[in-house]
Amino acid sequence: MIDPVILVHGGAGDIPEWRVPLKMHGVRKAVKTGYEILSNSEGCVLDAVEAAIKVMEDDEAFNAGKGSVLTIKGTIEMDAIIMEGKNLKTGAVAGLSNVAHPVSIAKLVMDSTPHIFLAGPGANTFACEKGVPFVPDDELITDFARQALEDFLHGKGEATSEVGKETKYGTVGAVAIDRHGRMACATSTGGMTGKLPGRVGDTPLVGAGGYCDDASGASSATGHGESIARVCLCHHIIGLMQSGLGPKQATELALTNMNKRTGGTAGAITLSNKGEVGIYFNSKRMAWAYAQNGEIHSGINPDEDEIESI
Amino acid sequence: MNKVEPVVVIHGGAWAIPENISDASRNGVKLAAKKSYDILKHGGSALDAVEAAVVILEDEPVFDAGKGSCLNAAGLIEMDASIMDGTSLKAGAVAAVANISNPICLARMVMEQTDHCLLVGEGANMFANECNVPSVDPSSLVTEACLDEWQTFEKYKSAVDSLFNNQINALPLGHDTVGAVAMDANGRIAAATSTGGITGKRVGRVGDSPLIGSGTYAIDEIGGVSCTGHGESIIKICLAKHIICLMESGMKAQEAVEQSLQLMNSRVKGAGGAICISASGEPAFHFTTERMAWAIAKADVLSWGLDPNECNIEKMA
Repeated sequence: MIDPVILVHGGAGDIPEWRVPLKMHGVRKAVKTGYEILSNSEGCVLDAVEAAIKVMEDDEAFNAGKGSVLTIKGTIEMDAIIMEGKNLKTGAVAGLSNVAHPVSIAKLVMDSTPHIFLAGPGANTFACEKGVPFVPDDELITDFARQALEDFLHGKGEATSEVGKETKYGTVGAVAIDRHGRMACATSTGGMTGKLPGRVGDTPLVGAGGYCDDASGASSATGHGESIARVCLCHHIIGLMQSGLGPKQATELALTNMNKRTGGTAGAITLSNKGEVGIYFNSKRMAWAYAQNGEIHSGINPDEDEIESI
Repeated sequence: MNKVEPVVVIHGGAWAIPENISDASRNGVKLAAKKSYDILKHGGSALDAVEAAVVILEDEPVFDAGKGSCLNAAGLIEMDASIMDGTSLKAGAVAAVANISNPICLARMVMEQTDHCLLVGEGANMFANECNVPSVDPSSLVTEACLDEWQTFEKYKSAVDSLFNNQINALPLGHDTVGAVAMDANGRIAAATSTGGITGKRVGRVGDSPLIGSGTYAIDEIGGVSCTGHGESIIKICLAKHIICLMESGMKAQEAVEQSLQLMNSRVKGAGGAICISASGEPAFHFTTERMAWAIAKADVLSWGLDPNECNIEKMA
């Protein structure tokens, strides 16, 4: 038997100071929600990661669901992935609009189609067919996302996936393991400010934005999407664990390699199949939290680890 | 830089290729191998070689890519493609793109003209327009064979509607992806893959072909891979990257390809094929389906086949 763990991230990047408490509140709330499900003896690890992600998709402090950054046309296009580690069942969506919970649509793809990945209008049609409520743009687009696009269009910043002044990245993610060693991961994002319509980053790409295999572990990434995709970051992390490295070492090594090869920065959260936690980021900050053994750990700056009892 | 022996490996899809198109399939992969090898012999880059090879395969209607792509559930064509440069690790891909003849060319434009790796759906088509890629009449991509197959699918679907979604893999519907991997005289490696997907797929369904690490991967220090077969299975084990990882740990290319496909079968019950070139220029291929059209050009020798253990050889001029 394993002590169940759920670990979440709320985006890696140059998160501005005023956003820090909002993000910390959000990741702690997400992890509490997921942990409640895991602590329940009937709790399903997929339900736990989905619930944690949904909390963050509802929270405009995060670049996912409500609060998603905007394409160059001022629209929202969201991507998500969910994966379980026993049979490697996976669901992913890209270019989704007008839904509150892209992670749930990804789960529907996994559970009710023979496919893994639906993109563009096909993904939206699918959501509609499944009776998922239509959410108007103005309920998902925030002032901060609009401002970020304004700044981008006026040359004040490169395409970014975090709201704020400097280059930054964002996405939300969760990885979890239940008492039987079953694992799941999920990642959800609005992408990058000013992206071309149809641009898909790492998030819905199996092996890049997320990967999960009960035989080794689970990982979810956030950061510069193209860099993460080019090195298949999460698959690399899992592979390093398979060759004997612990989750923290594997995550650090993979991110260092990614930065060396592509120049991009990112962060990732990882669990081994024994429930050991690994967190690493080479961006300035990454909001994260995990719940294990009745305690919540959280942090946002390098080497931070705040502990509170649940 | 020391010059090395250039090599190119081609596949035209791993599936139960029917006898009536087996010659056309063999000829198609042979032509793609010859033309791309020619580019390499004249000092051309691995990227140019794989793109040229895949263009030939996309234009050949017997393969499920470009012209000859399968029809989706709405009776339309949506295509996926990806290309990767093993030197820079830059990649470009398109998914669910419509009405263009050569998705692999558009994928290369994504890689070279944007900061992105993957464009899907309408966004991919908008980008194609911006790049002045000609729009083609969708019916010019449709072949009779694919239309027949789609009609069979429709008939079956209406008979077993509620079970269908879970039975799609049990249907006798074939067709598959095309791909190429090359190493040029400078030791640079590139890989490319292109497909129309599977008959009756949901609108917007994306398989492994445009996904870096699943359908395609290339890294000069280790090797290049292109995959074909059951897309969802390939994705679940990140087949291309898995092969790369085994080679990185010291395994020879042939063993890496065979072991990875065996894993795909045992772990997720999926069949397929893969082609590969190692960093030392060793070509390899393997398939766990009934047949796979393949060809290799190296040292002025062309080899090709379709059936297990089939290997034809001829010297190239």
